[in-house]
Formats: sequence, C-alpha cells, structure tokens
Amino acid sequence: MMADTNQLRMMIYASLLAALTAVGAYIAIPIGPVPIVLQNFFILLTGLLLGSRWGLAAVAVYLLAGACGLPVFAGGSGGIVRFAGPTGGYLLGYLPAVCVVGLIAEKGRNRMVFDIIAMICGSAIIYACGVPWLKMILSLSWGKAFVVGMVPFLIGDALKIAAAVPIAKVLRPIVKKI
Amino acid sequence: MSIIEIKNLSHRFENGTMGLDNINLSIEKGTLTLIAGRNGSGKTTLLRHLNGLLLPEKGSVLLNHVPVSKNLKRARQMVGMMFQDADSQIVGETVSADVAFGPENLCLDKAEVDIRVNQSLRAVGLENYFDQRPHLLSGGEKRRLAIAGVLAMEPDILVFDEPFSGLDYPGVKQVLEQIVSLHKTGHTILVTTHDIEKIIAHADRLIIMNNGKIIKDGVPDEIVPGSEEFGVREPCLSHMGVRVRSWLD
Amino acid sequence: MAGLTAFNYLPGNTFLHVLDVRVKLAALVMLSLTCIRADLTESLMMTLCLLFLFRAIHLSFRSISRELRYFIVLLLIVFLARAFFTPGRPLIGIWSLTMTHQGVSDGILIAWRLFLIIMLSLLFVSSTRPSDIKVAVERLLAIFPFISRKKVAVKVAVMMSLILRFIPEIVNQAKETLDAQKARGIENRKNPVYRLIKFAVPLIRRTFENADRLALAMEARCYSENRTDPELVSTQKDLLVFAGVTCFCLIIIIA
Repeated sequence: MMADTNQLRMMIYASLLAALTAVGAYIAIPIGPVPIVLQNFFILLTGLLLGSRWGLAAVAVYLLAGACGLPVFAGGSGGIVRFAGPTGGYLLGYLPAVCVVGLIAEKGRNRMVFDIIAMICGSAIIYACGVPWLKMILSLSWGKAFVVGMVPFLIGDALKIAAAVPIAKVLRPIVKKI
Repeated sequence: MSIIEIKNLSHRFENGTMGLDNINLSIEKGTLTLIAGRNGSGKTTLLRHLNGLLLPEKGSVLLNHVPVSKNLKRARQMVGMMFQDADSQIVGETVSADVAFGPENLCLDKAEVDIRVNQSLRAVGLENYFDQRPHLLSGGEKRRLAIAGVLAMEPDILVFDEPFSGLDYPGVKQVLEQIVSLHKTGHTILVTTHDIEKIIAHADRLIIMNNGKIIKDGVPDEIVPGSEEFGVREPCLSHMGVRVRSWLD
Repeated sequence: MAGLTAFNYLPGNTFLHVLDVRVKLAALVMLSLTCIRADLTESLMMTLCLLFLFRAIHLSFRSISRELRYFIVLLLIVFLARAFFTPGRPLIGIWSLTMTHQGVSDGILIAWRLFLIIMLSLLFVSSTRPSDIKVAVERLLAIFPFISRKKVAVKVAVMMSLILRFIPEIVNQAKETLDAQKARGIENRKNPVYRLIKFAVPLIRRTFENADRLALAMEARCYSENRTDPELVSTQKDLLVFAGVTCFCLIIIIA
C-alpha cells in the first residue's frame, strides 16, 4: 500500500523543522552582549507550525538522532553526553515544551494572543527543565543557577517570541494548504 | 505498439485556468520524444499525469493499455521521472542510500537492492561515489544520480523535465550522453524543454504545446521552422536551412 | 557551520567497523550509563580500554583533538564550577572564591566521566556508517512492545535520513539568504526582531517549497512504509561482545 500523501508531507515538514533546529544552533544573530542562538526559536516555531503531535515527533527524532551521535547538535557530534552535560536539561525540556506550545496554539486556533501565551509557556518549561539540571551538574546555588542559566537569555527570548508571531502567521498557510 | 495512450485528457488548475485542454496523444515504445513550449504551456502538468502524481479529471491515461489510476504503484515503477530541480529529488543522505530508496519502496529483497544500486550507479558512471554525500556532487553529477535512482526501479519509460536547466556545458554533455545511451538500450524517453537545440538532433518526434494544447506534432525537421511564436527558440543552424548537429559530435 | 555537514565516519574494516551496529549502539548506551556511576579506578580502566580501541580503528590523535575542542571547554567549565562551588576544606583562594579539596576531586571525577562518555560516542560515530546508525535505531525501537515496527520505527528511520539530507541544504540556503540581505544593506537596520523576521521567513519559505518538491519526488519513487528490511547479520562474536559488555556494566554498577 502506498503511504498517504498528507502523512508523507507532514513527516517531511517535521524532518525539515528538526533540521532547521539543528542548523539554528549554529546561526547566531548578534544583539547586545549575548548573541542569540536560534535553536529554541525553531523549537517554538515547530510547535506553532506543526501542532503538538507532529511537533513532538519532530523534536523527539531530533533528540534521538543527536543521542545516537549524528551531527545535529552544536559543536559536532557528542551523542548521549549532551544529555548528561550541563545543558542536557534544556534539550530534554524541548519535548514537553513543543508539546505544550502545539496544544495551546491548536486550542487558540492560531490567534495571536494564544500564540504568544503558548510560546511563553514553552520557554518557561524549557527553563524549568534546564535550570535545575544545570544547578545539579555544576553544584550551583539556586540564585547562581538562575543568573547563569536563564537571566541572560530572557531578552533574546522575548525578541524571538516577538519575531515568531508574524513568522508563524506568514508560514502557516504553507503548511496548512494540504 | 504504443506504450502510452492519452485520450481526451483535460486538467483544470485550482484557480480555474486550463492546465491541459483535451489532449490526445500516443507514444510509441522505444522512441525519444521532445515536448517543447514556453513556461506554463502545460508540459509539466502533462508529465505528472503519466505516473499518477496528478490523476485525470477528464479523459484517461493508459500505460500498456492499463489506466494509471488503476495501479499507481505499477505506473510509478514503469515511469521513471526526473524532475527539473535535481537537488530536491535526492532523498538519501549518501549516494548509495539515495539509489536504494526506490527499490526498497518496492520491497525487493536486500540482495536484489544491492545489485540494482551497483548496476544503476555503474550505468551513470557514479560507481566511485558510493558513500559520497549528494550535496557535494556537481550539477551534472546530481542529475546523473537522479537518473540512477530512477533506473534502479527498472522503468520502461523515462521522463525528463527540463534536464538541462542550470547546467554548464560539460554538465549538459554528461546528461545528454546519458539520455542517448538510455534510448539505445530500448527505453521510451520523453524530454520537455524550451531549449530544443541541445537535444533535437537525437529526437524522433517533436511536440509543441501552448496553453495546454498540442499545437504541432511530427518529425523535428518539419516542425522546427516557424515554432518561435510558441516560445521555442529555433536553433541557429536550422534557421539557415542546415540540419542541427548533435552536441555530442 | 562545517561541523554540521562533516560526518565523523572513518571508513575502515577493523573489528569495531564490522561489529553488528545493534550491539554497538546497545553497548554505547549501556557503557555511557555505567560511566555516570564509575569511580576513579574504574574510570582509569575504561580510559585504557578506550585508548586501545582508538588505536585499533586508526583514529589519529589530531582528528580526536579537533573533534573535542568544544568539549574540552565544556569540561573545563564543569570542573571549575565544581571546584569553586563545592563546600569543603579550602585549597587555594582566588579573589573572593575558594577552591576546595572536595570540589577539585569531585570536579575531576565528573569531568572525567563526561569525557569517557564523549570518547565512547566518538568511537561509535567514527566506526559506524550513518545509514547503519539509522537501521540500528529502527531495529532497537521495534524491540519495545508498544512501538509498532511499521508505523513508528520505519518513520523514525526515514525522518533521520531526511534530517541529515536537509541540513546541508538549509546551511546553503541560510548563507545565501544572509548574503542577499547584506547586499541590500540589512546591517543598517538595528531592530533585531525585524532582522530575524526578514531572515527566517524567506529561509523557511524556500526550504518548505523544496520540501514540497521532495514529497512529489518521493511519491514518484513509490514511497511506502512497507519497505525492504535493512539487513543486519550478527555472528557469534557479536553476541559474545554483547554479553561481555553487559557483564562489565553489571559488575561496575553493582560494585
């Protein structure tokens, strides 16, 4: 039996967004002292564009590919150690984050306010997973962990969310036309 | 014997314009047919009906007397299609994985897949690039890889959509050689182009399309004069009444 | 961005290259988990084994160090953070910070464990073809009872190769988009949101268009989830290695 065309398309889109996430780790847009990296931007966008189900699939396959040592994380291969290292919590946080972003965006029928709420929740989840892990691995105090692992990125995150809203608006018709 | 039989085929785009307007066409087995016409004249739309990427709204397309829509898998195995943009046709992450993609879809057993991969790569002269990543290949090599990927499915009919666009002179020669040698091995070949000069010396038949209709159909030498009004550039030599030489000579 | 498009696979025909991928992947996972619990002597033992294996697959010291630049920095951060922030008997004081005895020994152990895991993955990636990795994942996923082979495992494997296929294309596209915008003076616009939008929209739109063409091409080549099974043969030697690694891990974890 031949595979269903829509399924095939969604699968290709999911792989494409996973690949964009991989490349996003390398593209930095210089703003202020901390250049913003686009990895989590593409994670949020994956949730907005693909919804919870295919978004989750995209991120899960991305992480699995990375865990097996395929070169999809920043800094060459690395494999499973990325999850054990200081930034492992953020990576694992992508999973629930993309799922929640997708769910809220679907419930909100792509209205702008819901998109923004979705992405704020998504970012919060990523930090909720990332910061405690960072604290544990580096044996930091809570205060230091937040200062190192969250505060410097908040401005960048706000900018990314501001950019993601119109981007999702323009790109959704391309995904949805099927 | 005609291998492709198209009867009263029409196709309307979503915006209402006619993509194809009552096409009747039959293609003989083993011929090399050139389909020319300006962009938007319906060439690509016509080709996509041959392997069921588009299904006829009106009319029918028969391959060896069986409608395409009756068995899509058979149609897609029988008709190998090379798209205009070779880059986006490549599926695999290495050359060999890409060629294996088609036969694996046909559920052939692994040994047979390996045989076909090796055969196809040898047929297009890419056997030394087995583990190469496709994006590192040159334009002409990418086209040849796309051809190998299709050959591995052992099609009877090969369809080339604008095979020369964006290629440099050596690239054009590589692809042209490939097409000519495939023709010699008995494949039925259809080529669309708006630049007929590169291949016309090898064509058995020339069809000119305009606005979704077939305007002219016949032996190239007879058709070429006066075809410029349909967006097909007449080769220089032909202007002077001389037969066009092959690009391979 | 070169790191993204360069595979670390090192063609060869050594003992590790011909080992069944499934065994290699399972061993990688088990050994990595074991490393997290290894103490100093065990880590030392593992390091010696790994050095031997690296020699066996002819991985040069140069390429190892090139591969690991990024991680050395990472490990240094882990070590320093541990050394300074772990409470204990003071060793050296720098400004207002003090390095402690406990911190240093802790930091060394943790950094070493991470280093071992990195070496393990590097060993795996260097001796395994990417397409084989994909196959191993497909097979190992299918072991779990709640994962359907046809529905999930095959899709995962196809998606993995699509990701690898898309990455170089996106890198090229991103470079082109950035250049085109520089040529039209985007640097004069200071608003980062504007720049991000102007960068992401054309990039994603173009890659999606390519993806649509890819979907057509895959259909034209009869794409189906019902496909030829990738062939994997495991010999007695593979089973032996698997059993050996399992025992080794169990001993370390229990001890």
